Amino acid sequence: MAKEMMLSGCASSAQAAKMAKVEVISSYPIRPYTAIMMELSKMVANGELDAEFVHGEGEHGQLSIVLGAAAAGARALTGSSGVGVTYAFENYSPIAGGRIPLQMMIADRALDPPGDFGSEHTDAMSCRDQGWLMGWAETPQEAFDNCLINYRVGEDHRVLLPQFVCQDGYFVSHIPGPVSLPEQSQVDEFLPPYNLPHPLDPKRPVSHGPQIRPDQGTIMDIQRAQAMLDAPAVIREAIDDYNRIFGRKYAPFVEEYMTDDAEIAFFLMGAHTMTARHAVRHLRAKGVKIGLVKLRFVRPWPTEEVAQALSKFKAVGVVETSTSYGGAMRGGNLLHEVRASLYELPQRPLTTSFMAGLGGEMVSLEDFYHMTEVLSKAVREGKTKKTVYWVGFEAED
Amino acid sequence: MFKIPKGKEVPLGCVTPAPVGEQPMMITGNWREFRPLLEPEKCDLCMNCIVFCPDACFQLDDAEEKVVLNEKYCKGCNICINECAPGALTAAYELDFDDGVVRLDKPF
Amino acid sequence: MASKVHQVTVWARGVVQDKEGRDIANGLARAAGQEGKFTQSFDNYVDLPDRVNVPLRKYARISDEEIEERYEYENLHPEVVIVADATIVKGIDVLRGMEKGGTLVVATDRRPEDILKFIPNRDLLGKIVCVDAKAICGDRTVDFSGSEGGVDSVGIGQGISAPILGALARGSELVKLDHLDAVVKNKDALHKGHEQAVVKTLN
Repeated sequence: MAKEMMLSGCASSAQAAKMAKVEVISSYPIRPYTAIMMELSKMVANGELDAEFVHGEGEHGQLSIVLGAAAAGARALTGSSGVGVTYAFENYSPIAGGRIPLQMMIADRALDPPGDFGSEHTDAMSCRDQGWLMGWAETPQEAFDNCLINYRVGEDHRVLLPQFVCQDGYFVSHIPGPVSLPEQSQVDEFLPPYNLPHPLDPKRPVSHGPQIRPDQGTIMDIQRAQAMLDAPAVIREAIDDYNRIFGRKYAPFVEEYMTDDAEIAFFLMGAHTMTARHAVRHLRAKGVKIGLVKLRFVRPWPTEEVAQALSKFKAVGVVETSTSYGGAMRGGNLLHEVRASLYELPQRPLTTSFMAGLGGEMVSLEDFYHMTEVLSKAVREGKTKKTVYWVGFEAED
Repeated sequence: MFKIPKGKEVPLGCVTPAPVGEQPMMITGNWREFRPLLEPEKCDLCMNCIVFCPDACFQLDDAEEKVVLNEKYCKGCNICINECAPGALTAAYELDFDDGVVRLDKPF
Repeated sequence: MASKVHQVTVWARGVVQDKEGRDIANGLARAAGQEGKFTQSFDNYVDLPDRVNVPLRKYARISDEEIEERYEYENLHPEVVIVADATIVKGIDVLRGMEKGGTLVVATDRRPEDILKFIPNRDLLGKIVCVDAKAICGDRTVDFSGSEGGVDSVGIGQGISAPILGALARGSELVKLDHLDAVVKNKDALHKGHEQAVVKTLN
């Protein structure tokens, strides 16, 4: 039977890695993801988990270690936060291009300047176009589930891509929430053993990562692009199996909450979705026709699903928890992709973005009520005044 | 147009004035459980407390020819007591004194 | 609209009381959970990583209904404040954010009056509880397995957190001694703390 526990996102992620039977782990300390490695090192030391635990000399070293391990045929895990994520940046493209499906858990953290360890999605979002799967967890439970789902999808021979499994630092990574731990037999049924089709093997010697000619470059890029195109079907299969085996109700790409007959909606991902749900419920009780759409995968971006989910609303507020300075929308990253997804629709909802939850700021119920007023006004006036609202910092709405 | 609420302003690039003498943004007197208490008649001005204090909390008052403790920053590590050659310093429980209050809103 | 969330803030000394401070918050939340309450407990993220003796905060939150704003940094309006080392009252405004009629629990060998003189905003208090936790069980457990969101591998309430939780049950309705008894390891110290606590009602 499943075991119910109160665990932080870090602790639940470590439990998931243990049940996925990871074979090589590489660590380097940085808040807030630290406890994932604290927990795993305890498990290895206590003999609960049979894995090699290698401490890197920095994040760049960490990623190099797991690249070698996963290339040699071991299920490998690493992780980081904030500037640790960006320090390892050079390794992300070679890992995806070499089609090595290792996993990196990110408990996100605001990048410097000059130092803030609150949650912000910018660290991981800066790495979103390297050919890795990527998505955020709303709760410690979802962080647990996403580890297993991502290993299964990434290691599938139709995909073979590494995975950024992200959670909001502190909010999800540190605050304990209820987690249902499944039986090992359920995990084994869902997740087959690691089986790389092109491993480093002395019996069949191969070279990984050779220097290529310019005319091979595009072909390498096409391989990665094709894998990303093929991933959605594999994600759907994996989610169906996951829901069946573990008794969950995940939608593969976008989850809708109270969207029936809704005129306005929030679009967001990660921790703040939880507070947004409560805000939507209270607003519904007051008669406001509002709903919520939660994104589960940023990569591959679910273009059709987003378009379909958002097409029924009159106005959509995209809650951004990352920055894109000088970008087309002058705010975060998500609205770019939301608007691109909606472009082909004959009838598009009004869209605007709300910059909130940056640098670890909380997004309160009051903040969501305020955003609702902005959206309701846009519906009344038939237009949005701005593409971006910095919540709490606008001279006028 | 952005409007930064009062009290939330941050200087450009978060460049802050460098502390001179004392660092008012990092007052550490509230870390202290036991303070070093000086018995002046035993002190021979060996200066060990001045040398060994990791936070430079002891200073020499030239005019009075005595060492003075800055209670605002003394963390109560009591290294000075260990290093005091003539044994003029002893650890005294902070609640026995009405002074030495450093009441901050936040820990630091 | 949201239901009332009872906030409890624990003040403890960095490193040396990190574990015991966390045990008070975790023990309280877990005990209250036993009577069907919705609970949360977490460390103050900004106070960590800690250094020896720096004042730091641990939080517990208890509610009759689901806690809606789970993702917060601080208890802005604690109705109970617990001070695991009495000298902290000289260094911090421990009652900041408290509404009138709150409760203060202090681990000390002094009398309530001796502590109150160091608290300029004591008018906010409805009750003060003092317990000589060190005399009851003498030790504080130093262990870092439960910090930074990790899982505690030692168990709740082996040191001074046990008598402090006992004293809390004497002075507050938020938690019952029976429920604490089921989660705290040092049960003898828990009950002694409950018996020996000095409760003074104010205002």
